[in-house]
Amino acid sequence: MTTDIQQRIHEQVTSNPVVLYIKGSAKFPQCGYSANVVRILNLLGVKDFLAVNVFDDPAYVPGLVEYANWPTLPQCYINGEFIGGSDILTEMYQSGELQQLLSGHAG
Amino acid sequence: MVTPESIQNNIAQGMATAHLTVVGDGQHFEAIVVSEAFAGQSRIRRHQLVFATLGDRMRGEIHALSIKTYTPEEWQAAAAS
Repeated sequence: MTTDIQQRIHEQVTSNPVVLYIKGSAKFPQCGYSANVVRILNLLGVKDFLAVNVFDDPAYVPGLVEYANWPTLPQCYINGEFIGGSDILTEMYQSGELQQLLSGHAG
Repeated sequence: MVTPESIQNNIAQGMATAHLTVVGDGQHFEAIVVSEAFAGQSRIRRHQLVFATLGDRMRGEIHALSIKTYTPEEWQAAAAS
């Protein structure tokens, strides 16, 4: 059970360049922090990201907490690497680092 | 009900800080943490250091905590700008 979800998360983040794990859908996020990370990707013109609604499966939240060693959601992964949550994405967006990291995925 | 003071106490007891404020309404909290311990650490690692001071509270009672981290030097630069 635990290994199943770890494997599923690993496959998702390594087979998609940009992955968000959020509460709710990308169209209708159900938490302000989730809405913020979706908004940032939209502002940067990133369209081909995978948004996973963690409410789809109760295994996601404990699985993600363990996978990233990170206690909160949302979580953002780029090129298989855990980047951070809403605070870190906001800081990286404001500093321009996120744009650099995403170059090639925008548009 | 979670109070900002209880979060602030946990952080203050768990790590050395040069400046620390936590505000919140019982549901959403915002922490500003200034510590020498952040020097040379990635953003993720900095947040993990703060999360560690809160232990299991992060997995249960605290749902929404926004964290800003600074080294003392970064904090001075931010205050001056």
